[in-house]
Amino acid sequence: MKHNNFLFFLLCFFAVLSSYAQKDSVVVLDEIVLTDAKLTLFSLGNKKQVLKDSVLSKNVSFTDLLRYNSTIYFKENGYGMVSSPSFRGTNAQQTAVIWNGININSQLNGQTDFNTIVTSNYNNVTVKSGGGSVQYGSGAIGGSIHLNNSFSFNKHLENEMRIGYGDFNTQSLNYQLSIGSKNVSLSLGANYNLSDNDYKYLGTNQKNENGAYKNGNIDFSLGYLISDNNILKLYHNTYLGSRDFSGTLLVKSIENYKNTNVRTMLEWSNFNDKKINRLKLAHLYEKYKYFANKNRSEYAFGYANSYLFNYDYKCTFPNIILNGIVDYNYTDVIGRNIEESNRNITSLSVLMQHKLSSKFKYAFNIRKDYSEDFSSPFLFVFNGEYSIFNVYDLTFSASKNYRIPTFNDMYWEGAGNKDLVPETSKQVEVGNYFKFKNIQFSVLGYYTKLSEMIQWRPISTEGWKPVNIKDVTQYGLEVEVRATKYIGKGKLIWLTNYAYTKSIDDDNGKQLMYVPFHKITSNLALSYKKSEGYVQLLKNGLVYTMTDNSNELPGYTLVNIGIEHKIIKNSTSLGIKINNLFNKKYQNMAYRPMPNRNLMVQLTTKF
Amino acid sequence: MKMKSKIVSIIALGLLIVSCENDDNFPKIPKGDYENGIIITNEGAFSGGTGTITYISNDYSITESEVYKKVNGEDLGTIVQSIGFNGEEAFIIANVSNKISIVNRNTFKKLGEITVGLNNPRYFAVANGKGYISNWGDTADENDDYIAIINLSTFAIEGTISVVLGPEKLLGKDNVLYVAHSGAYGTNNKVSVINTVTDKVSRTLEVGDVPNSMQLEDGYLWVLASGKPSYTKDETGGVLSKISVQNYDDIINYTFSTTDHPSALGIDNDEFYYGLGGAIYKMNIEDTQLPTTAYIENISYYNLTIHNNKMYVTDAKDYASNGSISIYNLDTKELEKTFTTGLIPGGVYFNN
Repeated sequence: MKHNNFLFFLLCFFAVLSSYAQKDSVVVLDEIVLTDAKLTLFSLGNKKQVLKDSVLSKNVSFTDLLRYNSTIYFKENGYGMVSSPSFRGTNAQQTAVIWNGININSQLNGQTDFNTIVTSNYNNVTVKSGGGSVQYGSGAIGGSIHLNNSFSFNKHLENEMRIGYGDFNTQSLNYQLSIGSKNVSLSLGANYNLSDNDYKYLGTNQKNENGAYKNGNIDFSLGYLISDNNILKLYHNTYLGSRDFSGTLLVKSIENYKNTNVRTMLEWSNFNDKKINRLKLAHLYEKYKYFANKNRSEYAFGYANSYLFNYDYKCTFPNIILNGIVDYNYTDVIGRNIEESNRNITSLSVLMQHKLSSKFKYAFNIRKDYSEDFSSPFLFVFNGEYSIFNVYDLTFSASKNYRIPTFNDMYWEGAGNKDLVPETSKQVEVGNYFKFKNIQFSVLGYYTKLSEMIQWRPISTEGWKPVNIKDVTQYGLEVEVRATKYIGKGKLIWLTNYAYTKSIDDDNGKQLMYVPFHKITSNLALSYKKSEGYVQLLKNGLVYTMTDNSNELPGYTLVNIGIEHKIIKNSTSLGIKINNLFNKKYQNMAYRPMPNRNLMVQLTTKF
Repeated sequence: MKMKSKIVSIIALGLLIVSCENDDNFPKIPKGDYENGIIITNEGAFSGGTGTITYISNDYSITESEVYKKVNGEDLGTIVQSIGFNGEEAFIIANVSNKISIVNRNTFKKLGEITVGLNNPRYFAVANGKGYISNWGDTADENDDYIAIINLSTFAIEGTISVVLGPEKLLGKDNVLYVAHSGAYGTNNKVSVINTVTDKVSRTLEVGDVPNSMQLEDGYLWVLASGKPSYTKDETGGVLSKISVQNYDDIINYTFSTTDHPSALGIDNDEFYYGLGGAIYKMNIEDTQLPTTAYIENISYYNLTIHNNKMYVTDAKDYASNGSISIYNLDTKELEKTFTTGLIPGGVYFNN
């Protein structure tokens, strides 16, 4: 009955929309060119940090990019190995990775391994703090990371080649092509990375013996303006990786892990200045093979195919933007230890932004999922932005978000639990943004109540099973400072993030494992004429490694430095970077040491 | 009740006098800090980390965690599975690290280690002056499981005996070694009988599915098998097998119902104890039927050990925090004391 009411409401909504929509067209290309305009339109109250080219090229891995530029904490099973984020005190499954507007977290385990994403071909990477399940689906609880391609419809041709070489026989080869005309835009990026990764375990006579990795990656995006009112876009990403999994200080490893991701999306938009009709069709494929002993032929495996259909109708009035979305997702999985299974999810969302005055706007978004597998909660976001003074903006957000049980949770052979319900998170957040000439800073506070958290527990005689078992309270403070100063011909940029995070298990009142209370990242870059020098600083507080907080990993401070120099004007530059300058011994997962001091040289040329 | 405790205290007083007399005659030199007490192995985290040893003195006045690290300044290794003893020597097995640390059981001072020739080591036992260690081998290979033979004076592995899938608990007596095959990551239903003179498998006995514990008593080998759990989709009930060591064909099987999966067979004063479905059952060695009512209700355990009229019950909690051990008096069924242990307390041993 409830469902029917909602459907009826939605139908009316669409009927109203179409009657209002006007046909005369002035091209609103700017928005169409953005792959994910909703990120700015309907998420007014969430902090969004945009990382662009200059930052992306300084960090080889996705993990490093975010480790040194955001408040997210990473648990890495040794450098380059499985990397899982903790965003605002949540776990890896509560952080969503969004590729050109669609959620790409694994269907099998619900998380993204941040060392299986190559970021250098994206035009920007946006870190959005706080819940966003209405728009981005399952797992957008702690926050979401958005990988976006963009299009440029003008005549151009650019080639860029970047070659890197460093310690531990680390090699990287990157090629990017961007070509365009008035109505065609094409970008292509190809990457190949490999490393022996056999760094020293500082303070021992051991090395990271089984940590070699290599990966190949291709990104492709094509935009075609069919007419003034129609655009067709095609996105593609293929990633192939093979990693020997590192051992620990106490166990030598002989493991290997291979994985493949293939993502393709076709998008058609019909638009004028009042409305946008958008249809997306996507296919996501993921596959892994895990060799417990790489010298033997046996392996465990799993793969998942997802098909996505998404229809989106957006309508603009003088002060109101309305957006309705119907999304249908079909996924099937096959694996060695997983029941052959599939899942259909249909979801309906309505998003609305209302500009009350030139100083105040708010957005209200709702979503409901329908699936035979589990009952889904009604999700919402209410957020807004108020410009109190020219220099001061106040934002707020209240939302309800979720994380659905994964295929592993529900269909693992002999263990899957079909009675699981989605984890839900209710959160509120207030942000203060100050903007002066040379300095911008923000102070945010949030409070989150996470319920029905899913954990695997041993159930007597039944073995390990996932159960909805835990409630968690999270609250914290985030501060960001960005300062720019021109000194003669030089330019100084200083960007600092600080996060204070409490993530408390309601049962025992203790901080969750592997959630630091404090994390600071600070980046200082000075450019002068043809050169740029930079310093990256990371200060990580202690984390507990047991749920009763009876054991901990100490905090650490890391410093990286680098310099880039243009050796040929407008075309070629040479960069040198020293990671872990002070040769600090540190771990972000117990008994899994991270690299000693190491050097990387990079040559970039444009033609 | 009162009368009984009086008698107990009189007897205790008597013992005290006797022991004082002994002390006067032969001044006793303490063998080490961990001489009189309970030794607990804590498995530690599977994903990376070390197992630890917890010590609790017999009078409960002293408890100490991370004993091995304190004494030797190093970690034991990942997943401390068990300890086996040879006189004063304790063989501590780190399963995932493929390592055995040998210490003096009373001082915990390291005497040596074995790091070569092990592949998924599980348990240690002594028979005929030799050490034996069950090994699963590579878990992807069902045919490479073996028993490693250890020279007890050099701690070197001198040979191996190939056995069927999943050798687990060992029991050595004179020239015979019994190996219970629980089946590693799969299941099995065998007990291998090894002649330790020739170091060959002389018999393979069929018992219930997933044999988890053995006792040798009264000329019989008692094997408790838990049966296959429901998640195997081929659930079978537990079986208690009574096997004559004179004639291995003489087997009596006491079978449990299909959904009953008993474990941890212990013995004290001719009484067997085992755990089943959150309760403890008691069965006299002469009984010809399985007990139908529980002896102690509401006991769930990670490890259950019966020793000298006491029951030691460990709790692994959420498998990511310090566990605990609770000690019960088997006569009164009363809980005597609960202590905190390390992460995942999986084994309980005694230095008396």
